[in-house]
Amino acid sequence: MSSTIAPTTESIAALQGDPRKRIRFLDRSSVRIALPLFVLAAIILTLEALSALAVLNPITFPAPSSVFVAFGELITKGYFWEATWITLQETLYGFAIGAGAGLLIGALTGTFKTFRVSMYPFIVAFQNTPRIALAPIFLTWFGFGIESKVVMAAVICFFPVVINTVAGIAGVDENAKTLFRSLGATKTQAFFRLTLPSAAPITFAGIKTALTLALLGAIVGEFVGASEGLGVLIKELNFQLEVAMGFAVVIALAVIGLALYGLIELAEKRLITWVRD
Amino acid sequence: MTIAPETSATKGEPISLMSVGKVYAASPSAAPTLADITLDIRSGEFVALVGPSGCGKSTLLKIIAGLIPYESGVVSVGDSKPKEGRRDIGFMHQQSTLMPWLDVKQNVALPFRIARESGAHVDERVEELLELVGLSHAASMRTWELSGGMQQRVALARALALDPGVMLMDEPFSALDEFKREHLNIEVAHMSDTIGKTTILVTHSISEAVLMSDRVVALAANPGRVVADVSIGLERPRVSEMVSSRHFQELSNEVRDALADGLKGTAK
Repeated sequence: MSSTIAPTTESIAALQGDPRKRIRFLDRSSVRIALPLFVLAAIILTLEALSALAVLNPITFPAPSSVFVAFGELITKGYFWEATWITLQETLYGFAIGAGAGLLIGALTGTFKTFRVSMYPFIVAFQNTPRIALAPIFLTWFGFGIESKVVMAAVICFFPVVINTVAGIAGVDENAKTLFRSLGATKTQAFFRLTLPSAAPITFAGIKTALTLALLGAIVGEFVGASEGLGVLIKELNFQLEVAMGFAVVIALAVIGLALYGLIELAEKRLITWVRD
Repeated sequence: MTIAPETSATKGEPISLMSVGKVYAASPSAAPTLADITLDIRSGEFVALVGPSGCGKSTLLKIIAGLIPYESGVVSVGDSKPKEGRRDIGFMHQQSTLMPWLDVKQNVALPFRIARESGAHVDERVEELLELVGLSHAASMRTWELSGGMQQRVALARALALDPGVMLMDEPFSALDEFKREHLNIEVAHMSDTIGKTTILVTHSISEAVLMSDRVVALAANPGRVVADVSIGLERPRVSEMVSSRHFQELSNEVRDALADGLKGTAK
């Protein structure tokens, strides 16, 4: 007995790698979680194998298993949590100051032409300057304490907020502006009822970037000169050739960064309800 | 769509334009966008402006709304000059321009919020307008949940919110498909019969202009000028079946010929 199955358009498309099929497959939430996890597992297993085969020097490049053990040990230490608290404060204060100033300057630049003409060239010039180079200067100005790190974080996260706020305001729909004028809206009304909500999605994208950069600014500040914080901890552990512990701190920083990003994304979803994925 | 006469307390206002001229470019030698436009629109009349792109139809509408200045002539809406933000002028754009952060009800109430009015009378008025445009069921919907036609209905309700005497409509249905467009044409024509606003409709569509209005004013470009003023004697209420009538075709042809003559004049 023979049975034949006539090829359908869908089965042919699947065999030929129909892009629509691929998109549907990649859109599955299980696939979207499993695929990155698979990549991570592959990297970890490769590194573990290279360590086991002595291709990698365990002192300078510890095996992932050693890093996980070190991480487990690290989170039981009081000095780790003290350092985390310091870095977190530097990041959050820096973010609040930098993003706050960025929103204000961005709103003024986007709204008032005089301000834009006189200020925007400087903003663009500073945006293209490697701001990390300012870290030693801030150390001289504000000392070894938390202040120089807060300023570094603020300066680094200021620019994406300014640039995105200006872009958001510039992108307000011209028809909507005309509508508000025809309704006799004052400039203040137009700003709060039209400009602010219109610009919010783009501005918030800048705020999200800024929060990640604030953590970077705090760590760079600590590298350049500080007595406490996670940056200091990484430096000290490396000097002592405790590279596995150093990697464990980097993992802790990645977790902090992800948690902060998650929180800001949650805030975005709560505040900007009208933008759909 | 249910039409309730009580949704409008304000009578339509007359509009008068005398030798109106407008030049867009800064240079005095630049060609005028509009030249010597003279037009009288009676209280409660529905007038359509038709013409090719660049003939200044939308510019004329913005001048009447007080949104842009003009260089010469006299314009009056009711007893006074056009001015930005007049409560007695409702403006409807080509795009619905709804605020996505507001729901349907809040979008309709926007003119009241800008006029700093709130309270039960505003809520009642918004409900009344949503009923007028047939969207009572969609009051709490977000704008992205609406079809193109529904979005334009919300924009229409918003334009009518402050009960203006004059309605200015700048190609409000051009983004809709033919079926929805004709459906809304008839609905707006019926609404206009009932609420008696003075209405100016800018459109590229001759049949839309003939179907909805009492008069069709044809404009030619370079410079923008009136080349014909055709009175539409079709009886009201207007119905979509009129489109296939002989009289409708004759009127459409009259407007089309006037526009063709205007284009020939431009070519010369």
